[in-house]
Amino acid sequence: MIAMKRLITFALLTLGVTGGALAAPRIVDAQQKPELTIALSSFSAETLDPVLQGHNVKYYLSLMFDYLVGTTPDGQPSANGGLATRWENSSDHRRWTFHLRKGVKFHNGDEMTADDVKFSLERAMGKRSTTGYAGPLRTLIQAIETPAPDRIVIVTKESTLIIPTYLSRALSTEGVVVPRKYIEANGDDVFARKPVGTGPYKFVEQVTGSHIKMTAVDNHWRIGVPRYKNVTFKLVPEETTRIALLRRGEVDVADVSRERVKELEREGFPVHTRREEAILSVWWVLAPDGWPAPMKDKRVREALNLAVDRAEIAQSIFAGHADPAPIPLGLSWAFRDVGFKVTPEMAYPYDPARAKRLLAEAGQGSGFALDVYAFQLPGLPEGKAFAEALAGYWEKVGVKTKLVPVDYPAFRKLWVDRKAPGVVGYYNIANRSWIGAYALLEKMAYGPSKLNDTVNDPEIDGMIAQVMRQTDREKINALMRNIFTRLRSEHYGVPVVYLHSPYATSKTLGKWNPGSVMYDLFLDELASSK
Amino acid sequence: MIRFAGIRILQSLIALAILSVVVFALARATGDPLHMILPMNATAEDYANARAYLGLDRPYVEQYLSFVGRVVQGDFGTSLRARRPVLELIQERLPNSLRLAVFAMTVSLAMAFPLGVIAAVNKGRAVDRIAQLISVLGQSLPTFWVAIVLVEFVAGRLQWLPAGGISGFASYVLPGFTLGWFVVAGMMRLLRSGMLEVLDSEYVKLARVKGVVEYRVVWLHALKNALIPVVTFAGIYFSILVTTAIVVETVFAWPGLGRLAYDGITSRDFPVIQAVVLVTGVIVAVVNLCVDCLYAVIDPRIRYAR
Repeated sequence: MIAMKRLITFALLTLGVTGGALAAPRIVDAQQKPELTIALSSFSAETLDPVLQGHNVKYYLSLMFDYLVGTTPDGQPSANGGLATRWENSSDHRRWTFHLRKGVKFHNGDEMTADDVKFSLERAMGKRSTTGYAGPLRTLIQAIETPAPDRIVIVTKESTLIIPTYLSRALSTEGVVVPRKYIEANGDDVFARKPVGTGPYKFVEQVTGSHIKMTAVDNHWRIGVPRYKNVTFKLVPEETTRIALLRRGEVDVADVSRERVKELEREGFPVHTRREEAILSVWWVLAPDGWPAPMKDKRVREALNLAVDRAEIAQSIFAGHADPAPIPLGLSWAFRDVGFKVTPEMAYPYDPARAKRLLAEAGQGSGFALDVYAFQLPGLPEGKAFAEALAGYWEKVGVKTKLVPVDYPAFRKLWVDRKAPGVVGYYNIANRSWIGAYALLEKMAYGPSKLNDTVNDPEIDGMIAQVMRQTDREKINALMRNIFTRLRSEHYGVPVVYLHSPYATSKTLGKWNPGSVMYDLFLDELASSK
Repeated sequence: MIRFAGIRILQSLIALAILSVVVFALARATGDPLHMILPMNATAEDYANARAYLGLDRPYVEQYLSFVGRVVQGDFGTSLRARRPVLELIQERLPNSLRLAVFAMTVSLAMAFPLGVIAAVNKGRAVDRIAQLISVLGQSLPTFWVAIVLVEFVAGRLQWLPAGGISGFASYVLPGFTLGWFVVAGMMRLLRSGMLEVLDSEYVKLARVKGVVEYRVVWLHALKNALIPVVTFAGIYFSILVTTAIVVETVFAWPGLGRLAYDGITSRDFPVIQAVVLVTGVIVAVVNLCVDCLYAVIDPRIRYAR
């Protein structure tokens, strides 16, 4: 009996404590919050040093740092958004002079000069760097000169047009400017833990696995007086939790899955979408000496394309937040830059009957074995469901598919080592401007790159080689258009869908265009008072 | 007792040494971390540079000896992913896991003890059936499901408690309950069966015959003798709660050791994987040692037997 009384007392005490917590008032009005809080499913490597990051996530870096060349929200180089207010090139396109914004200071009070820009670029090209485009810059840049504190000259080994875009916010983080004196005095490790930049927000704290917090500078040339005193990025891997935080008013922006968009919209949460943020692209692993059979036969590649019902995949797997893609490796944000028009004839119809005929013509009427590697990817929680659907479509036309569940690094090793010729893998390749698309093609569609090549076509190799040397933009555009056309006509891969990425926001956040800059959310608009 | 503790410590050190070899070998057997660190368009030269910079181009034996040499000095190396000293990451995460585990264990002990004892004393009655239902649900409902339901309804819809992250006492309630419920269930069942056995023993009957008050018979004499399996269970589960609460830490955005391990595994971050496994090994060894010592306190016959 006494035991029972103690139990009841304990239960009442527990209820009392919980009740107290429940009764505490919660502030949910965004107007009262001096804080912008963004909940994301992944921070990628979670490192704050731009040279150790950048090929996946730029969200938080772009608020703390400035790039040498800024961009508009749709990724076009802009003299208003970066540290260079203007730039010009020599007639042979080998000397690029950048004029720097005056009076810009780092968060520790040091003035930003050409020395910092030179130091940053050399650091980004250094051996420690893992940024997306360090390799091509190492190959291309011959010298970096600093004739004046507000001027920097980049000399290249060959004529090129790519320098401003490579050093802009449009691509990776090679163009991020970091403080030379601070890093030389404190070392790389201290900088990575307590980064100092020139951006509108300065670093406050990072708790790995939890959050990154930054606070506004008084005024910044990029966005004026920042609208929020603090910005916090919260790492919340589970979507249910991100949505619960949004409902509770604890976060203002959260990345959400495509399948929960309707539910959130019904509840009145605005959902902003980055359209065509990635292309879901499928390819076959090449053999050490090129195309393996039977994919060596163009008819087989076409048949495998025709066997896939892209519209159904877009609707049933991606909840309608995707559109069929017609061009292998066809990064559509580049199409507008180079004037490439996707015609209705380029779209692959869903035609299993014709697929079967083509397979029969290619001598594969009785089918062949095909391993489909199935894995999840960041931004693609539907990965395994998609792989199952893909295998199902191919089964219908007689291909004997086998699903091989792995994680992506395991597939990538097979791919680059070419140890499993003919097997199928996929990736949600981030969309990007023409120069980024070119850099991707140079790796995934260029024979000499070997490691990642998925195309093995001497004609395309020749065109890619010409793009790098070409300085006439119109000729570059024509070459790029021809590359895309040939990728489509030869069926070098299975372009499946363009993925739209939704971000739900609090009901009071207001207007926001998340833009179309690779790996960036373009939060400037939210933070800007201009 | 000291000799016994010394032998157990020596055994633990040997086990940790073997563990270090196994984890070193297995981590490397799972793939190349550079495939995760470097961008998709990295060249062969980029791979070679990164491999040399990170020391992954050295022979395995050299890498292992270097790793062991540093570990004995308290240096677990640098995370390949976060590029920070692994010890720092462990120091950041371990206290969060320990706090959550202590909270969950406290909740589960506070619930399991009264429930287990009352269920045993009231065998076959309604209260026993309710306790058994709680036990069955706790062990059969998957942790991830319980966690998601609590986040969706208690935090998201009803907005009673925080959904995730560490923000004061209230933020411990949902993850602590989710973790603790499973332990409550197991512990309660063990305690109930132990109590039933003890309550039927001769010395308990003798105590009753001698007129000892019932609550003293149950809560003092019987409970103490039913504790041995419960202490073992609690010890094992405390280690598990600290080191492998991956699901709960992921759902509740809790920056603990389990998620550090998960991130390390998915990104092939060898130094992190090795450090977490070794730290886990140390925690298990220490907890087991404590449990062995507790046996002796609870039942002096165990001490004499050794």
